[in-house]
Amino acid sequence: MRLFQAFRVFFRVLSDGEFAARVARAESPEVSTRPTPAAAPVPVTAPVKPASRRSEALTLLAVFQREGRLVDFLQEPIESYTDAQIGAAVREVHKGCRQVLERLFAPAPAVPTAEGAPLKVEQGYDPGRIRLTGQVSGTAPWQGTVAHPGWEAKRCDLPEWTGTPAAERVIAPAEIEIR
Amino acid sequence: MAATFSIGIDLGTTNSVLAAIPLGVEGASIEVLSVPQLTAPATVEGRPLLPSFLYLGTPEEVAQDAFRLPWGSPSAAVGEWARRQGAEVPTRTVSGAKSWLTHSRVDRRQPILPWNAPAEVTKISPVEASRRYLEHLLSAWAQSHPEAPIQEQQVVLTVPASFDAVARELTREAALQAGLPENFILLEEPQAAFYAWLANPTQSWRKLVREGDVVAICDVGGGTTDLTLISVAQENGELVLQRVAVGNHILVGGDNMDLALAQLAQARFAEKGVALDAWQSVALWHACRAAKETLLAPDGPSTCPVTVLGRGRRLIGGSISVDLTREEVVSVLTEGFFPPGSLQARPVRRPQSGFKELGLPYESDPAVTRHLSHFLNQQSGVRPTRVLFNGGVFKSEFFRRRVLEAVAGWYGATPESLELPHNQDFDLAVARGAAYYGRAKLEKGIRIRGGAPRSYYVGIEATGLAIPGIVRPLRHLCVVPRDMEEGTELDIPSDTIGLLTGEQAEFRFFSSLTRRDAPGTIVTHATEDEIQETSPLVATLPAAAGGETDFVPVRFQVRLTELGVLELWCVSTVSEDRWKLEFSVRDEG
Repeated sequence: MRLFQAFRVFFRVLSDGEFAARVARAESPEVSTRPTPAAAPVPVTAPVKPASRRSEALTLLAVFQREGRLVDFLQEPIESYTDAQIGAAVREVHKGCRQVLERLFAPAPAVPTAEGAPLKVEQGYDPGRIRLTGQVSGTAPWQGTVAHPGWEAKRCDLPEWTGTPAAERVIAPAEIEIR
Repeated sequence: MAATFSIGIDLGTTNSVLAAIPLGVEGASIEVLSVPQLTAPATVEGRPLLPSFLYLGTPEEVAQDAFRLPWGSPSAAVGEWARRQGAEVPTRTVSGAKSWLTHSRVDRRQPILPWNAPAEVTKISPVEASRRYLEHLLSAWAQSHPEAPIQEQQVVLTVPASFDAVARELTREAALQAGLPENFILLEEPQAAFYAWLANPTQSWRKLVREGDVVAICDVGGGTTDLTLISVAQENGELVLQRVAVGNHILVGGDNMDLALAQLAQARFAEKGVALDAWQSVALWHACRAAKETLLAPDGPSTCPVTVLGRGRRLIGGSISVDLTREEVVSVLTEGFFPPGSLQARPVRRPQSGFKELGLPYESDPAVTRHLSHFLNQQSGVRPTRVLFNGGVFKSEFFRRRVLEAVAGWYGATPESLELPHNQDFDLAVARGAAYYGRAKLEKGIRIRGGAPRSYYVGIEATGLAIPGIVRPLRHLCVVPRDMEEGTELDIPSDTIGLLTGEQAEFRFFSSLTRRDAPGTIVTHATEDEIQETSPLVATLPAAAGGETDFVPVRFQVRLTELGVLELWCVSTVSEDRWKLEFSVRDEG
């Protein structure tokens, strides 16, 4: 948990100047209101910093909507449609969303053992990667069967959003066709 | 400082790619650069392919800095988002700039793109569009490799083999403006694809081809088809490779195939009484591409639904769908693009209307096999024994098979014996091969002998009495023999030609992919099929000092540099003076 927090702070320090300043203050031994001495001017060779940021969750949702129409699909009441109608649309949604998933996360099984195959769980296993179910008694090692090999993202390449604060919550812009 | 990388850049018609290999590192592999680009408004994502499209935004988009990238804020978007905009906002999107570079009927340095854009859009020239694509790639490189400035690296830029000297020169101009080092090398794309194949560490090419083999490189990308023949010979026990012929610039590619299928599906929709609007037609085009890939895959299904989702929020309610069968898709693509035919088959020329729009000169015959047979039939005495594929179209085994069957039929071979085994990514091979070539040139690897792919001629009007209504016959003086080697220089034997000083001298300039004339040969009778006119050449001679005669007698001298640049000079026969001839690409009207 602390490791995760450390990463979060690390990335936020990188991306958010104000936050970085707050961390610097928290880190200094005597937390006081005394103004910190002005740092030496930083040479302006750093890449242009984005003006504003937003939750990466919104950026991800925007990708799924843009390439797989996921938000349109989930927001549409489907009770009145036939299974055939839904099926035809789902094929398209599935294709688009899957491409996004593959490109951004490259999901792969969390354990290399095939579904249904036996697996021995050793002592000191990683509970983050392996979850035990059923008659768990005694101590490791346990002999079990892989009911689901899990998923692990082999990468996490989210796009960077560089828009303005006013459009921060926009998942998909309105499309106005000019005739 | 010595170069630390060999960098290959594929400036493609539809996609651009940058690949690099470190120099002096044993066993180093070729890496393709992930290029940060806008994939949607205000969304930056790294991709290996940079689509060669440029979107010129509205004033609001520019004011809001909508095209911001990690390294700055360009005034227009290049890449994936621009490609999408190309379908939805065509009047503000530049596409196919590279094909415009070869179009001799327009001035390629004038702002003419997007073609047919409304007046308020600030147009740009084909040269500038190319420059911007390159600048984007170079910025991405600078950001990821700040320790290796591009100016100090070994850089190889690829051009289609079919590019004539003018298109090559314009590409060079764009590249230098973008910041490529002065000594960058131009390499022909099919050769680059061949180098990528040679570079493959999992197979030894020396075991796959042998002396006497002739490899036909068949490169069909999104919008263009490029053909090249490379022969394998032996010298002092070593295999040597020589490029023996290149084909014409052919504007046919995978996009044409997807459009043909979209028309088939559109007709099916029309039968159901559904008319598609412009947005839906674009969506249909993409859906047809996906259906084509599904149906033509080995063990593909026999039918595949083509669905266009609703435009608005009613995704399911607005969806429309038709089925395409494998049989009809195969029939449309085979008949339209890969028809079986004899080696004597030539591309069909349809009569053109008198008022032809001045857009890109798309082929009137999309049949790739007919272009191929026409090309091969022109190479007297040379027949291909192996085929190497490149370009996105040939990711599909179906299309490779069609070409192999056609070639096998012409020469009485079996398709299996023709195809060279490969395992390269057809989209990235050209950039990778270019990077490999850059290293081979420095570190003495295998090289393909190239030389001038065309012979070039200067048009000289015959002297004689002027007769009203009769155009004086034009004779062609060969100034560059085909296959002239890089790094050589030639004095062209001819009568002296009088040049007027203080004025601009203009020469009509011609090229031929098929004729093999010796330098100095004067060709009096040539068909338009054999010799084509390219842009004129001009030289401005400063007025001679000291009241000398107005006419300076000159002869031509030609140089083909190591970097693949063709230079033509007028050399005075009475003094030390010489003047370089420049291409004039101004609009002829």
